[in-house]
Amino acid sequence: MKLLKIAAAAATGLALLAGTAQADDKPVVGLIMKSLANEFFQNMMAGAQAHEEKRGDYKLLAVGMQNETDFESQINAVENFITQGVDAIVVAPADSRAMVRPLKKAMEAGIVVVNFDVALDAEAKKQQNIELAFVGPDNRGGAKLAGDALGKKLGAGGKVVIIEGNPGADNANERRLGFEDSVAEFELELLDSRTAHWETEEANTVFSNMLTAHPDIQGVMAANDSMAIGVVKALESAGRDDIIVVGFDNIPAVSPMISDGRMLATVDQFGTDMAANSIDLALEVVKGGPQLEGWVKTPIELVVAN
Amino acid sequence: MAAASLAIMPQTTESPAFLSVQGLKKHFGGVKALDGVSFSLLKGEVHALVGENGAGKSTLIKILSGVFPYDSGSISLAGEEYRPANPHVAKELGVQVVHQEFNLLDHLSIAENISVERMPTTRLGLLDRQEMNRRARLALDAVGLTDVDVKAPVSSLGIAHRQLVEISRALQSKSRILILDEPTATLTERETRRLFDIIESIRADGVTIVFVSHHLEEVFAICDRVTVFRNGISIGTDRISETTPDGVVRKMVGRQLAATANEADPKRTPGEVALRLDAICTQANPKDKGVSFDLRYGEIVGIAGLVGAGRTEILRGIFGVDPLRSGRILQAGTEIRFAGPRDAIAAGIGFVTEDRKDEGLILDMPIAANMSLANMRAISRTGLLQFSEENRRTREGGARLKLKYGKISDAVSSLSGGNQQKVVLAKWLGRNPKVLLLDEPTRGVDVGAKAEIYAILKDLARDGVALLVVSSEMPELMTLADRILVLAEHEIQGELTRPEFSEENILKLAYGQVRQAGGQTQ
Amino acid sequence: MTTQVLSETMPNATRFSVRTALQNAGIGLALLALILFFSVFTEHFLTPNNITNILTQITINLVLAVGMTFVILIGGIDLSVGSVMAFAAVVAGKAITLPGFGPAEAIALAVVAATLTGVACGMINGVISAYWALPSFIITLGMLNIARGAALQVSEAQTIYSFPYAFEEFGSAMIYGVPVVFLVALLLVLVAWFVLNFTVFGRLLYGIGNNEEAVRLAGHSVYWYKVAAFTICGFTAGIAAIVYMARLNISSPIAGIGFELNAIAAVIIGGTSLSGGRGSVIGTLLGAFIIGVLANGLILIGLSDFMRQMITGVVIIVAVVLDHYRAKYASK
Ligand SMILES: Nc1ncnc2c1ncn2[C@@H]1O[C@H](COP(=O)(O)OP(=O)(O)OP(=O)(O)O)[C@@H](O)[C@H]1O
Ligand SMILES: [Mg+2]
Repeated sequence: MKLLKIAAAAATGLALLAGTAQADDKPVVGLIMKSLANEFFQNMMAGAQAHEEKRGDYKLLAVGMQNETDFESQINAVENFITQGVDAIVVAPADSRAMVRPLKKAMEAGIVVVNFDVALDAEAKKQQNIELAFVGPDNRGGAKLAGDALGKKLGAGGKVVIIEGNPGADNANERRLGFEDSVAEFELELLDSRTAHWETEEANTVFSNMLTAHPDIQGVMAANDSMAIGVVKALESAGRDDIIVVGFDNIPAVSPMISDGRMLATVDQFGTDMAANSIDLALEVVKGGPQLEGWVKTPIELVVAN
Repeated sequence: MAAASLAIMPQTTESPAFLSVQGLKKHFGGVKALDGVSFSLLKGEVHALVGENGAGKSTLIKILSGVFPYDSGSISLAGEEYRPANPHVAKELGVQVVHQEFNLLDHLSIAENISVERMPTTRLGLLDRQEMNRRARLALDAVGLTDVDVKAPVSSLGIAHRQLVEISRALQSKSRILILDEPTATLTERETRRLFDIIESIRADGVTIVFVSHHLEEVFAICDRVTVFRNGISIGTDRISETTPDGVVRKMVGRQLAATANEADPKRTPGEVALRLDAICTQANPKDKGVSFDLRYGEIVGIAGLVGAGRTEILRGIFGVDPLRSGRILQAGTEIRFAGPRDAIAAGIGFVTEDRKDEGLILDMPIAANMSLANMRAISRTGLLQFSEENRRTREGGARLKLKYGKISDAVSSLSGGNQQKVVLAKWLGRNPKVLLLDEPTRGVDVGAKAEIYAILKDLARDGVALLVVSSEMPELMTLADRILVLAEHEIQGELTRPEFSEENILKLAYGQVRQAGGQTQ
Repeated sequence: MTTQVLSETMPNATRFSVRTALQNAGIGLALLALILFFSVFTEHFLTPNNITNILTQITINLVLAVGMTFVILIGGIDLSVGSVMAFAAVVAGKAITLPGFGPAEAIALAVVAATLTGVACGMINGVISAYWALPSFIITLGMLNIARGAALQVSEAQTIYSFPYAFEEFGSAMIYGVPVVFLVALLLVLVAWFVLNFTVFGRLLYGIGNNEEAVRLAGHSVYWYKVAAFTICGFTAGIAAIVYMARLNISSPIAGIGFELNAIAAVIIGGTSLSGGRGSVIGTLLGAFIIGVLANGLILIGLSDFMRQMITGVVIIVAVVLDHYRAKYASK
């Protein structure tokens, strides 16, 4: 695995060299993404690239990772960007603590840093003595939107389960907390809560078994749409059409399910635009605008059948 | 305890048995490997164990060295009960063993293998390589392997050299009893004599030696007493000076052996040339001259030579195991090129390999599967195994070689060493090859079975098969061969025809005393 | 000595019948114990619906493990099956959603695409590791990355969806409560069992796992047999991809992460030796059941995710340790 990381880092380095070789006077923005194997970030990347073309007044250097937990190559990318002397770094951290120190180095080098998608840990920021705004969606609030939709439909006492994302991942935590907020608010009964590691097949298996253990489930909150698909498939093969499912992310594959009622709702956090919006904010600061502060919330929206 | 220390026991005066075994029994599943073995060892003697293949010699040795526990009976060593829980305990008590099948770590160096039980360390507790290599050098010199590099991996050694490395390893530790299970099976004359010198010298130090061999002349040359085994029972112990080889054989087989038909061997008339070797050199051959000779159908050609003379190399070259560096092989006048054993077999050649554990057998697989390995087509139809046919052939092949086994579905590893060798032979005999290459074909096979195998090989030659036999046993070559090629330094030093056969003539050539140019044949 | 030179006829004497039977009995007992435990301590474990669920849930792992058995029997390992499955699923997903085909043709196309993709990946694994005699561990680790990358590339990291209705039908079809996809897996097990026990090919795979050199010197082309074993493993990854698609009606490029480890676990729990040459596909079937029953039962019991993961680990280790002792007694 080590080998792969080194290879990835080397590839990053090459990309950077190639990037600066043709850089002119335009400001350079380094974009650090999470796993490009994830549809969500893939779309975000495409959005950023389209944005670069449309604006045309800056140069984009984008870097992705091998997988969700590969924060070493993110740290390498930050260091490489510092060496390259980029004007701004826009980063979706893979780990909310590990990234703080390298980003501090970047700020000390006079680079504008914008943190988006996942917020850096407040405690760690205080320890390193840095102020850094966060641009991103409110995962907890978003999950609560979906949870509330389900709560309204079921009413108090409705029996629900949660399918969680990767244990330990910040967005997984936030979304679970959001679902739990809805559970509390609508006085739902939470029967079980388990991870399916964001994955369809595992969600299908795990949910089938939860359904066996609790045949009286009325609603399911899945922390992403891939897992929601697995849940829907499990319901189909169990012949149950009385259970309501909500998801998160609004990937294209769920839109037919929402329109034909197999899913009640999902949440769109406009991931495609998120990186682009963050770049806009960063360029603003580079041009001499005021420093960002606190939490710059990006839009989120509940998606239901129309 | 108190009573024992109070009672002052008089020291027994007559020299008691140093190790004594009484009524020892051991079974494996349904097989009674030992069914009542009693014998004793006197301090400082060289004691031979002899018996047919599967008689129980190796089993007894494995019990003495702590590999297996025993079922019943008793063993005492120096007056105390002896029941080693594992090989380590046995070693601690001074019982060192060189087993019949090798136990070397192939990928480690010779030096590491020799020191594996007690690695020398520096003051810092690190491995002391220098010391390790120095000890290994001494150990190898002691067994006459002066020209072998101690840093070479064991996998680069031939089988005889491995045997010598095993022996030198056993000599490393202090021993009271040194057990050698068929140490000479892979050795040639020269190494055997060297080994006997070593045995003499350590016996002089008061070490007791147990020596297993199927070669009675060795037993009579070096041992003081001999215990005969038959079917898991010890028949009795004799002083060598009070018995004869015939007497020992009679005890072994329980009857008089029919006089071997060696002398009355009907003349064979060699036919067409089966293979013509034209200056072949394999990659292992450091010399460029190569080896040339003809092998004809219906004849048996023997290849003699010392260990390392390049005998196995020739067979591997012919069979396509090792690629040829130069030279040609012709079959029926046309040159053949074998990309691997597969092609050689397709051309009607068979190869009984020397190292049965690594090359000849799949130890964990059944006897039947091993016997049919080289002949899958005969026991299958359109790729499907025909079990009844396979079983029939296995039983037939086993009977032909008097194989001693429990069930044909037993793993080959459950057979005694000599019986394993018979399986290797049976595997190739079952193919009815036109040309059969044999490398030490009777290694570890007992006297009776050996005679049977000789008869079978001669029958094959009479039926027109071409046989090329490599052997370290000169009597074997002299019994079997129509002519003997003697090899030294990867080159043929000379050829002996039947009237010229004698151990002396072979050895002269083998030691590199090349005959005068022109090689006058009388 | 009671043995005779000529022994009595033994039916099927040439197979490892006794040893294999014992081996399977050992694992079977462990499985029975698990089933008994869950039946007593959970309410729903033995209900027909749950049994159907378990059968569905072990299918993919079982299919992968059957192929893995071949590779492990020759002393190899294939770490790429999870990724290859995803790659095959994505290729088949692209094929099945091509415009201009009727449902039947689209499905046929997808099946061919998935199996060919799997076979190609497996063959590459086999050719490279056998030709240069390189450890398959590292070669298939390379393929793990290649196939995963290819899956992401081909799909542009998007989940592929909306397959023909008939395909979904197949994924959820039942015969007397038994999922059809499981029957497909069972068929694979039977075929593999037959091949390993009754054909020359199977016999030589065992031989190669035990002593490659002896097989080579007996005139067999070890190279091709090795390539064949890896190709079979790739083929089953392709089949697993089809099962995945039929069951979930999507093709995800991130499917099957870590599946190789579950497949290897099923094979090893089933008593196949990691160093090759010993084992059986029936054991693999039981091994896959153990993993599946455990995953199902622990959720029914209501154990938390983290405890569940720990207990799964413990059971794997215990099963293998027990098997070690049982094998030792069996050989005595
Ligand atoms: N591990 C085992 N499992 C089953 N049977 C065994 C095992 N080891 C030995 N035997 C059987 O015990 C008997 C005695 O074998 P042993 O190896 O002691 O013979 P041996 O006298 O050393 O013969 P050889 O001269 O051929 O080396 C044989 O019938 C053999 O098949
Ligand atoms: Mg023996």
